[in-house]
Amino acid sequence: MNSFKMKITPFLFILPAVILLTIFTFLPIIISLVISFTDMDLVGLGNLSSVQFVGVENFVRLFQDEVFLQSMGNTFFYVVIGVPLAVSTSFIIALALSNVSNWMSNTFRVIFYMPSITNIVAIAVVWGFLYNEEYGLFNYILSLVNIDAVPWLNDILIAKISLIILAVWKSNGVSMLIFLAAIQSIPKTYYEAAEIDGANWWHKLTKITIPSVSFATFFVIVTTLIGWLQFFEEPFVMTEGGPLNGTNSIALFIYQEGFQYNEFGYGAAASFVLFVIVIIATAIQFKLRKKENL
Amino acid sequence: MLKQKMSFVLFLTVAIGAIVLLSACSQDEEQQSESNDTLTVWTMSQDLEKFVTAYEEETGVTVDVQSFPWDNAHEKLLTAVASGEGPDVLQIGSTWVAEFGEAGTFLDLSDHIGDYENLDLNNFYEEAVASAQYKDQTVGIPWYVDTRVLYYRTDILAEVGYPDGPETWDDVLDASRQLADRGEGQYGIEFPRTDENFPFMLAWSQGWEYNEAEGAANFGKSEFKESVELYNTFFEEELSQSNDGKELYQAFSDGSKPMYFSGPWEIDQLRDQIPELDGKWDLKVMPKTETNDSMIGGAHWSIFHNSDNVDQALDFINWMSDPETQVDWYETRNELPSNLQAWEDPILAKDDKVNTFGKQLENTRALPVIPEFNQLSEELINYLERIYRGGEDVDTVLEEYQEEAARILNK
Repeated sequence: MNSFKMKITPFLFILPAVILLTIFTFLPIIISLVISFTDMDLVGLGNLSSVQFVGVENFVRLFQDEVFLQSMGNTFFYVVIGVPLAVSTSFIIALALSNVSNWMSNTFRVIFYMPSITNIVAIAVVWGFLYNEEYGLFNYILSLVNIDAVPWLNDILIAKISLIILAVWKSNGVSMLIFLAAIQSIPKTYYEAAEIDGANWWHKLTKITIPSVSFATFFVIVTTLIGWLQFFEEPFVMTEGGPLNGTNSIALFIYQEGFQYNEFGYGAAASFVLFVIVIIATAIQFKLRKKENL
Repeated sequence: MLKQKMSFVLFLTVAIGAIVLLSACSQDEEQQSESNDTLTVWTMSQDLEKFVTAYEEETGVTVDVQSFPWDNAHEKLLTAVASGEGPDVLQIGSTWVAEFGEAGTFLDLSDHIGDYENLDLNNFYEEAVASAQYKDQTVGIPWYVDTRVLYYRTDILAEVGYPDGPETWDDVLDASRQLADRGEGQYGIEFPRTDENFPFMLAWSQGWEYNEAEGAANFGKSEFKESVELYNTFFEEELSQSNDGKELYQAFSDGSKPMYFSGPWEIDQLRDQIPELDGKWDLKVMPKTETNDSMIGGAHWSIFHNSDNVDQALDFINWMSDPETQVDWYETRNELPSNLQAWEDPILAKDDKVNTFGKQLENTRALPVIPEFNQLSEELINYLERIYRGGEDVDTVLEEYQEEAARILNK
């Protein structure tokens, strides 16, 4: 009896998590995969018998759909520029915070974390004013040094960059906390030993700090990358994908097809493509990490 | 150690408390749906909750009003369709009729309306009734109506020769050109770039008609092309700003955008927010080329297809459709009565701004009641943007739009 209890206990402990994951993660993934091979729409939702399997038609159409291809291109643009920017700035902020006095560190930790817990709609309102072409703060500052007004949200390329800046500002807080914790857990003795050997700050940073936080860096890069691949909120509230689809992302495309046009099958197909992209990107990172460790 | 134990006990208490509370809530809900004295109503008007107390006092029925903002309402209804769990009565946007009607979301009211005096369809604006019909079914009863008119600055338009506002689209073009010439940052008019119904109104004004049997070919008609070219002219000549620019009220009050199109809610907002502009603005019915038809919008009352409280629901809708209730509602929210008799009430009749809406309501049309309309109109906005912002050729873009429309319609 006792040994049975011993065996079953760990399973009991993970059971709640497994149940939740199954219901809220695995099941939806499987269902959406099934839906992606159908022509499910609003009528189908009310009357399941009218739903038909259409094979891979949704996927074929997806890769001929200019809007989707453009959204995919935009998403990669966001990832390629946004991820390095988000990771490096949050690391730099964490590094700076670990080197200042305690009360300053505490105060600024809160300040940098604030955007992460602020409601996205409130952010959209405030940043909408900042980016406003006519009387926004940014253009006002530029006008003081005689630079022409920048069309922050009205130019295809600039709008993408504006959204990246906003997203980096918003997401820095969480990554910064993780980096900060990792940096503070590095034993002081390493630095003392290095100082005795005559190391300068650059040596200490590259030979001690960065290698010591490598696991945190890995974690931050993986989660940031996944987050940026699913870039949604910022274009949703700021530009609705415009101008000329220039800021649309895959996630927003899924939303538009699924919830605005009620093309659930098509939207599900797009979400499955995104799912595969995320899995591949994460797998590559795990591979690279393994190589590094060998 | 003690601290750990304490926090564990605390955690347990909170957890158990939460569970008890949750189960109590769900029990509450079950009881509500079982009892026949409670009517659940979904609305996008926050003020309705207070408003229905009069009905509750009259009948002894409890009305459980749940309100959502318009932005979430569409999704909320989608979820209700998917789960089959809806309210008894719900407010719907007039453009949702076909989309959700096709999915069998609403109860057909045709057989019931004869039993209630206020639900006689002759009591309402004909076009509003038309927008609530889907495939020979009456799926909604008009609650309030809404249409678009031109808001303009009387003082500024007088300077360019239109003290009573422009009558035709040629007048609008002429006035806009003069106004845009005033200098940098000055525009003639604000075109609603994101209003997906506006291009259809513009097309109507050019004599275009949507004929359901013709499908995508409707968008190949010459009148449609003319309206798109007219739309484009306003941006090409910078008579209307193609970027977001200044906040509209600010631009209206400083005169840089002295004309724009909007609905009835704007009257009160303008009076409240820019009182200093009082007497310097007025309303005008839509400009005309062939017609000056505006869209009939607004909201309907519908009954969810599996409601088990249909009689009470109909009684409630009957009460909301009463001319007196409709005037009360107008006073509460400034939403225009769908009931024709309510318009005779002096409260509405004496307000000349509201009267312009009354006048426009005589010339309205329902947007095509087809399930694909939402997607057609939103795509049209994207294609139009390619012309006025992307600089693409009108003919090419329209051809592509026609193909896209054919695909959407033949799904």
